[in-house]
Amino acid sequence: MTKSVFWYGCNMTRHSEIIRLSERMLAAVGVEAAPVGGPSACCGSTKESTPPIAEAMGDRTMKAFNASGAPRVITWCPSCHMNLDDFMGQTNDQNFDSQHLCEALYERRAALAPLLTRTVKARFLVDRHVGFNGRVPVNEIIPELLSMIPGVSFADHAYRAPSYMCFALAPIPGALADVQRATLAAMKETGADTLITIFHSCHREMIGLERDHGIRVVNWVHLLAEGMGLPYEDEYKAWRNAEDPLAAIGPARVAAAGEAAVRKLVVPELTRPRQV
Amino acid sequence: MGPREPLVKTAPHADLAALRASETARMLAACTQCGACFDACPMIPYAPDAKGADPAQTVRGVLDVLTGGEGDAAARGWIAACTRSGSCNDACPEAVDPMFMLRLAKYRANETGMLPKRDAMEAMSRVKVFARLLFSEDEQRDWL
Repeated sequence: MTKSVFWYGCNMTRHSEIIRLSERMLAAVGVEAAPVGGPSACCGSTKESTPPIAEAMGDRTMKAFNASGAPRVITWCPSCHMNLDDFMGQTNDQNFDSQHLCEALYERRAALAPLLTRTVKARFLVDRHVGFNGRVPVNEIIPELLSMIPGVSFADHAYRAPSYMCFALAPIPGALADVQRATLAAMKETGADTLITIFHSCHREMIGLERDHGIRVVNWVHLLAEGMGLPYEDEYKAWRNAEDPLAAIGPARVAAAGEAAVRKLVVPELTRPRQV
Repeated sequence: MGPREPLVKTAPHADLAALRASETARMLAACTQCGACFDACPMIPYAPDAKGADPAQTVRGVLDVLTGGEGDAAARGWIAACTRSGSCNDACPEAVDPMFMLRLAKYRANETGMLPKRDAMEAMSRVKVFARLLFSEDEQRDWL
């Protein structure tokens, strides 16, 4: 049978370990899904200011998914997920169904539970936003999945951040800083030591808190992996919190990726100012 | 929690232009300009031009932008500050889908020059460099 697609989106190239872990977790609960993403499988989100270009990108991705014969597209990114529902699937025939990764794992939680054999000491608070939860109840599913890990405890709190993920807040003066302050306050109030990010852009923005605020920041997939005993390395976080990101990446990898491109496109992102 | 779409779905609209035209007409017909969406938005404190504005008037401005007009400063400020929180959808008594309304209004505002376009020139180049740093050669071949 043709594999499903794990549509990781475009900005997830920063978090390759999450893609690998997601593929392994899906396989472990009986879902064979091939990772697909990057510029050639774009939902059009990055070019949204120019709708015809965004439309063409989304159309190309829909054609590829339809042609693949995949019965299901499992999404990661909330932008991709919403664009599939709101635009791509509204203007293209669709020969597959779709589901978010957390739904796919939650649906098979009976198979997942016995795989969570490792004790993880963490009292975790989840960075929950209001925006995507109406499409996929991530704010309920993810704490429930993580609570299956031996040793963890869920620090529930009423705070919900605006937006659907941190990416949208970053360019609006004051918005992301307020969210980070409120999140840290919620962690303190609940005694949480670990902040769980749901989406990649939230992870990108929140990992900087780890260096200065005495907390641990991991993605929900990371914590599940720890419970399953799957090794991983969050290199993006290490680079973001390193004194010298170029040195942390290492000269050989910088050279292989193209030093000029790394200096121009990667280093400014890794060294951008912290909000709080 | 299962799949939400049938396995084979026929496109409801021919293209994006048709979708936008259809949705714009639906929104114009459904919206009563009550302003509940504006009142519910958690981003208003971050939109100086919209903060303290009259909710109904601001919604009228958004509808104006949606149909190619200039709107007013409050409407443009609100559109620019929208981060798809969706709180407006929960508040709307007419199921207008104000979140989508603001999104389509932003499309129009970008086209008419009422709001600046997002600078995404380097976004995909950055995605590719990170892939070269973090994907194996096999992953670059198979995943991209």
